Amino acid sequence: MNLIVSTLLVPFVTAAFGGLAGGPRRLKEFVVIGGLLVTFGLCVATAAQFLGGVVPSAFDNTLRVDGLSALVLVLSGFVGLLSTVYGVAYLRRNEADGHITERMRREFHSLVPLYVFAMLLVSVSNNLGILWIAVELTTLASVFLVAFPNRDTSLEAAWKFLMLGGLGLAFALLGTVLIFASGQGHLGEGMSALDWTRLMEAAPSLHPFTLRLGVVFAIIGYGTKAGLAPMHTWKPDAYREAPSSTGVLMAVGMLNGALYCLIRVHLISKASLGPDFSGSLLLTLGLLSVLVAMPFLLIQWNLKRLLAYSSIEHVGIMAVGIGLGGEAGVFGALLHMTYHSIAKPLAFFSAGTIAQLHRSSNFDAIRGGTIGRTPMASGLFLLAAVIMTGSPPFGLFFSEMTILKAGFFGPHFVATSIFLGALVVLFCGFVYQVGRLTLGPQPDTGEQPVAPETFDLGAGVTLIAAVLAVVSAVYLPESLIALIRAAARVVWEGA
Amino acid sequence: MTRDILILCAAGMLVSAFLTVGQKALFTTIRLYAGQSLLLAIAAIAMAVSEGRQHLYVMAALTIALKAILIPWFLMRVIDRIGIHREIEPFLNVPASLLICLGLTVIGYRVSTGFPEGAEGVTHHLLGVALSMLLIGLFLMVTRKKAVTQILALLTVENAVFLVALAVTTGMPLGVELGIAFDVMMAVVVLGVLVHRIVDRFESMDVSRLSNLKG
Repeated sequence: MNLIVSTLLVPFVTAAFGGLAGGPRRLKEFVVIGGLLVTFGLCVATAAQFLGGVVPSAFDNTLRVDGLSALVLVLSGFVGLLSTVYGVAYLRRNEADGHITERMRREFHSLVPLYVFAMLLVSVSNNLGILWIAVELTTLASVFLVAFPNRDTSLEAAWKFLMLGGLGLAFALLGTVLIFASGQGHLGEGMSALDWTRLMEAAPSLHPFTLRLGVVFAIIGYGTKAGLAPMHTWKPDAYREAPSSTGVLMAVGMLNGALYCLIRVHLISKASLGPDFSGSLLLTLGLLSVLVAMPFLLIQWNLKRLLAYSSIEHVGIMAVGIGLGGEAGVFGALLHMTYHSIAKPLAFFSAGTIAQLHRSSNFDAIRGGTIGRTPMASGLFLLAAVIMTGSPPFGLFFSEMTILKAGFFGPHFVATSIFLGALVVLFCGFVYQVGRLTLGPQPDTGEQPVAPETFDLGAGVTLIAAVLAVVSAVYLPESLIALIRAAARVVWEGA
Repeated sequence: MTRDILILCAAGMLVSAFLTVGQKALFTTIRLYAGQSLLLAIAAIAMAVSEGRQHLYVMAALTIALKAILIPWFLMRVIDRIGIHREIEPFLNVPASLLICLGLTVIGYRVSTGFPEGAEGVTHHLLGVALSMLLIGLFLMVTRKKAVTQILALLTVENAVFLVALAVTTGMPLGVELGIAFDVMMAVVVLGVLVHRIVDRFESMDVSRLSNLKG
């Protein structure tokens, strides 16, 4: 069977199985994790096929894997697997407290693989219509994962997420319609008229006004999903309420997927209207995101919201890289995406464990000096903070440097200077917050009893994530670098 | 003939959007949405007849089944089950809202003239109405407090997008259209379930109470 189709089919079937009622609990967990493991394997196989010189495609090029798709596909599969394992551990931990009902478990076991399915569909869609449908699917699959803890605040977060996401998607749909309209007369009206490859071929003859309007709407729409400022307001709420495993799916899977959509739209616009139009739009939104994250990071009072603002910062960095353009900017942005995807699970998992053991993610409830109470999770979170802030020798340092280099040698000197300043402040803010939390003074009175740290499945997967994040600093596999280069070629040369 | 029908439908949709802005009873707003969707379907049929596009019939049938019947029925059932507070309490009073929407309509028509097809004729009206409805939908979204009215605002925006599609492209490819219809249906179901949970918890569907999360 076709490789792309089976890559999509496996998580879909896993989701259907996870939604079945009854059955032994451990068997279900085993099947869900196994399904995602196979999915990741298939993602890697698809990417390998692409690197082998074949362009995998299905359904008349509606699904097609080029360099960019392959990179996003592999990263999504990777994060899907890790977050599922952690999610299973999260459920087990909560089972002990009796918080989890049978319905919640079923919801979780079916929605997570469905979410992964939608993410993978985003990354292999060559058709802008299918792309939109897939992004909408990711939103629908994640709403109940955000509402999962079933608190007042999680319903509020889910509601905001769905309303803002729905509006963003309506904009993206309008953008898609207008891009489709701009090609009419050249591309006909069949399904293939929405194919990205055909739109790229016909780029010079697309109608400029219609396309321009379409690009703006599509970038605002997909930018909402990516969490670019000023459409980012759903993000802190959703990240705070969602279980950490879902947080990672959103912070990496959704973010990469939405960025993928943004890049596709940007490329059509670049080929037709020149690089400045959508490029400067992305640069502005990216810069705004980095600046907006700054004050909120400094005054933050909640651990998971802290991660959300860090995620807004990182998507901003990637958007700036794409917007600055140049071969270096694009390569830097994609390198950033890769390193960010590898490092983020560690941050979310260790933070999730700290929050779960303290039964709250608010700083004033956790109090300082967590390293004395939960040494492993806190130590790993500290490591994650060092990696996420882009300290050398870790990968995010090099990707940020690459983007800065592209900026200072390009025409956007002022924007890049502001960007650099913001990065420095963000670095200090994040380190300050995390240092205060983990290393700060222990509360001397009224020490609340914290459940002792146990080495369970969740701790195991956090440790694996830590090893991967550290190893990636010194060694990236040759094939992964080839993928990043192939992806950069797509974005830079449009082929 | 089809020209007149198209313009009539578009005008009707705009009127329904304005009526929604001025309306206070929740059930009536849902009926207005159903009527608006029906007009969209009729416009699609008129377009299908005049341009000879078969797939527009499918789209019209889908629109009637989903947006004129199924979604309104579902929303009414949600409200029935909740059974409380049927009045809409907007943040802004009605005359001021109507005036703002009038301004938005002018903007919508102004933007529509930039399109190659939009400068004159039927398309000008379709596009003008569609863009105005889009803006009115956004306006409704920010000024309404009730969860169901926010859903209706979102659906109004969505209808507007389909009218744009009808005006500038004579409809999207069928496969995409089917996928979008399915997604919209799913979204409404998800929203309905969420409203249910919110009402269970807060004993109100006033979303302005959802304001604990800040910073």
